Amino acid sequence: MPKLLIVDDELDVREFAANFFRKRKVEVTTAVGGEEALSILDNFKPELVLLDIKMQGINGIETLKRIREKDKDLKVIMVTGKKPDEDGSLNICQQLGVLDYIHKPLELAELEKIVMGALK
Amino acid sequence: MIPLYGISNLLIMITSLGISIFVFVKGPRNKTNKIWTILTLSIAIYGFGGYMVSLSENAHSALFWWQVAYIGIILIPVLFMHFVCSFLDIKRPFLLRIIYFLTSVVWILNIFAKDLFLGNVSLFFENSKIFKSGYWIYPPTPFLIFYIIFIFGGIAILSHIELIKGYKRADHFKRYQIKYFFLGTVLGFIGGGTSYLPCFNIRLYPALNILVVLYPLITSYAIVRHRLMDIRIAVTRTGIFVVVYSLVLGLPFAVAFWLKDWLIETFRASWWILPLGLMAALATVGPFIYIYLQRKAEDRLLADQRRYQDTLKQASIGMTRIRDLQRLLDLIAHIMTKTVRITYVGIYLFDAGSGEYVLQVSRDKGRLPVPKLASSNPLVNWLILKPQPLIYDEIKLRAQDSSDLAHKQLEENMRLLTAAVIIPSFLENRLLGFIVLGEKISGHIYTQEDLNVFQVLAGQAALAIENAQFYEEAKKMQEQIAQAEKMATIGTMADGLSHQINNRLYALSLIAGDTIDTIKLTDTTKCTPEVKEMIGQINYALERIQANVMQGGEVVRGLLKYSRQGDSGLDALDLHTILNNTLEMVQYKVKLSEIDIVRDFPPNIAKIKGNLTQLEEAFFNFIDNAYDAIVERRTLLKEAGYRGRITVSAYPKDEHLEIVVEDNGLGVKEADMKKIFTPFFTTKTSSHKGTGLGLYVIKRIITEMHKGQISFESDYKVGTRFIIQLPIAK
Repeated sequence: MPKLLIVDDELDVREFAANFFRKRKVEVTTAVGGEEALSILDNFKPELVLLDIKMQGINGIETLKRIREKDKDLKVIMVTGKKPDEDGSLNICQQLGVLDYIHKPLELAELEKIVMGALK
Repeated sequence: MIPLYGISNLLIMITSLGISIFVFVKGPRNKTNKIWTILTLSIAIYGFGGYMVSLSENAHSALFWWQVAYIGIILIPVLFMHFVCSFLDIKRPFLLRIIYFLTSVVWILNIFAKDLFLGNVSLFFENSKIFKSGYWIYPPTPFLIFYIIFIFGGIAILSHIELIKGYKRADHFKRYQIKYFFLGTVLGFIGGGTSYLPCFNIRLYPALNILVVLYPLITSYAIVRHRLMDIRIAVTRTGIFVVVYSLVLGLPFAVAFWLKDWLIETFRASWWILPLGLMAALATVGPFIYIYLQRKAEDRLLADQRRYQDTLKQASIGMTRIRDLQRLLDLIAHIMTKTVRITYVGIYLFDAGSGEYVLQVSRDKGRLPVPKLASSNPLVNWLILKPQPLIYDEIKLRAQDSSDLAHKQLEENMRLLTAAVIIPSFLENRLLGFIVLGEKISGHIYTQEDLNVFQVLAGQAALAIENAQFYEEAKKMQEQIAQAEKMATIGTMADGLSHQINNRLYALSLIAGDTIDTIKLTDTTKCTPEVKEMIGQINYALERIQANVMQGGEVVRGLLKYSRQGDSGLDALDLHTILNNTLEMVQYKVKLSEIDIVRDFPPNIAKIKGNLTQLEEAFFNFIDNAYDAIVERRTLLKEAGYRGRITVSAYPKDEHLEIVVEDNGLGVKEADMKKIFTPFFTTKTSSHKGTGLGLYVIKRIITEMHKGQISFESDYKVGTRFIIQLPIAK
């Protein structure tokens, strides 16, 4: 079974997104913030990380950096609520290497396509 | 040495003659005045005769001169009666004819049959030490007695009765004049009357004869002057003057007279130095004593008046501290009515918008005030020409005397305003407004001092009012700035807010989406029809939630687009794109379905060199304003079948693209056109009011940032067009 790590500080997002992908035979683990995500990554080796940018504690960009320090190839999809590249985060993400950069809110169907596509 | 009564008669002659000339020249040209001139001439004749009598050495010449004097004396009563009738405008032809007849009889008797009238003269008081050469008297013949009682006394009584009756009917000013007449005649009769007493063997020297001088003086003053001094003041001043100066002059003379022998004994040849020195000393001190006593007396007399004048002065100073215009005006009106005790106060202020003087405040006892005066009103023009208080009584007199239209118009206007006094208020040569005062409750006239204080008050009031007006404008500006700042803050918050909202929408989307998915994957074939139906409904509801969420996302995107701090670079922009983006944003504020938006330019119109964000903002404001104008027109004019339309047209003009945004809204009034690009200016009513910055910002965007031009044309109730020129991109 493919493994997915969802990192988001919203409870509803973690619960319902996880539920959705579990129905599609994906093993899903969730993390509340960047720190929890990094500690999970040592044990649970997912194929894909769905990473929210704006979080409390360590934000998404910082988390991405630390992930890349350990693993250059781990697939990451960044999720942002802000408009295109208000804070230059797109450039940094491109430099660090991400699979995709998506904007909230988006339809579940859309999210499904992107994630399932990346997990093949 | 001239006897005392000789001096007094000489004075009588001089003053009466002088006055008759003065009144004839300076006074009003009417019948009353002419009669008065003859009367004063008669008094002068009396004075002359009396003077010559005092100089007479023998009985024969004394008798002759008394005849001369009586030529004048006899005429005085009848002329006075005639004068009163003319002054009070009453007709007594019958009575007057009888009196004139009787008078003529006596008059002829005096000239041709003096023995019957005056009889023989003899000397009285001849042994008096003080009154030198005595006083020539004449025994009371029957005719004389007849004359004294019926003609002199009778007419005196009759004329005074008429004066009293007239007083009740008279207007304000005439009443005051009558008061003065009474004063004059009382003095005159005392003076003249006492001269008769010695004839009846009463040992009273006719010293009071001097009072006859005052009679024509006082009465003429009342006739000629349009603005009379308070009579109490006149009396006290005269009284004090007489007392002080008789002391100043009299004391030295008395010393010289009584102590002459002792002085000659002591100082020999230069005995007169002491009296002279005394006179010099007293003459120096005299004026100061006079002023001091006068002030003391007037302080007591006018305590009331001084009190309110002081209150007014204090109020003037405190006034400038009040910033609330309405409160200030109320205060002024309140002070006037309560302190000065006036029946009516009205304050008119110039309204720049309508160009009229509008009644702001009025304290009255139930009368309908005139609400406003146009600046073309003759009263207003007069005040501007002559920045002084206007007194109704005076104006009325002048209107009666002269024939020019100006005074008559003034009188009419003042009457309409029920004004006893009007005080203009000027600020740097502008007539800011004026205060209308009714009569004083006490019935007293307005004195010169009153008017002086009022003028000070009006001057201070002008400053205070302008102060208050500035303050109000400043407050309004501050409010508008605060509002604009609030708007700007909300703009900066848009970023953070939209992010938060997006998070909610994202969560909602996932929740609904996942649940729909679960339903889809669940096998419901074994469920009852009711359950199946319920599941169907739930599914539908969740789909609706998703649709709403998507719409919410669109709204947030639109908001972000508008509030974004765009870059300031210039690009080649398509007008269509600008307009499309603008409309997408403006639809949240403006009901686009209610109006028609027409694009009158080809799809391949020349591109503009500009900044997308800024131009979007500019057009946003154009459409927003145009929409408001349309709504206003719809609400105000209520035309059947009216449909708002905004037309955007463009065509190239040299190096520029000329764009015209035209609407058929309410348009802009002529008076407002100049101010339309100024910051914080808005004609919108308070419920629609924005910050008033819209057009100001647009102008800056077009002219400063794009180096273009903007102008506008407008017809009230027809529409408005904005004409913009922007550089074409190369």
